[in-house]
Amino acid sequence: MLSLTVLYDPDCGLCRRAHEWLAEQPKLIDLVFVPCASEEARMKFPMLNHDLTKEDLTVVRYDGAVYFGPKAWLMVLWSLARYREWSYRLSSPELLPTTKKVVSAISQNRYQISRVIGS
Amino acid sequence: MTTTYTYLVYLAISVALTIWVARTLHKNGRVFLVDVFHGNDALADSVNHLLVVGFYLINFGYVSMALKLGYLVNNTQEGIEALSVKVGMVLIVLGGMHFFNLFIFSRMRRRKSHQDNRPPIRPDTFTAVKQEA
Repeated sequence: MLSLTVLYDPDCGLCRRAHEWLAEQPKLIDLVFVPCASEEARMKFPMLNHDLTKEDLTVVRYDGAVYFGPKAWLMVLWSLARYREWSYRLSSPELLPTTKKVVSAISQNRYQISRVIGS
Repeated sequence: MTTTYTYLVYLAISVALTIWVARTLHKNGRVFLVDVFHGNDALADSVNHLLVVGFYLINFGYVSMALKLGYLVNNTQEGIEALSVKVGMVLIVLGGMHFFNLFIFSRMRRRKSHQDNRPPIRPDTFTAVKQEA
């Protein structure tokens, strides 16, 4: 089964919102959501550095390829039928530095953003 | 009488221009379409033909609607001036349609190139995955 495992932060409201939104999107590749550093995650990926996955979104492809932070976000976009084009656009050499900056800024401040949007 | 001649010259120039642009599109767009449809020549020819039909309809429709001058042409000078405005408008519409067609072709091509399953970026690392029993 070709799928991406998304290791997300269950304590962050923004991530739960994103999770709900993602669940409704038509997908080209299945997304499996697993809370980061959970029993399930450790069982599934015994060799992965699970402390690191708490810091930023991590995506693991079915064949074990690990994408961390902004790259993980791009892979999630890539899995969506409507946004695959955007994943290529945002990862182009011209836009990648900006994408990384913006995504990192959102990730670092996810608890504050969650508080502001009230979830 | 001069007004009628102006109309006739306008029609002759516009129709000739439209046919020329449509033929150019038809001839050179085919290569694009064959590529988009993975070498399916029959489908490419069919879509190409349908596009050209639409192109003719819109252009002839415009040419026909823009025919009326609204005033009488009294001499050759006025005739040429009226023609320049009318034919100029036809050229601009043709140009717009031409770029719109190119836009459609390039979009079709881009969509095709995104159907491969190439991930947008390289992974950071690889890890072992425990297969579920």
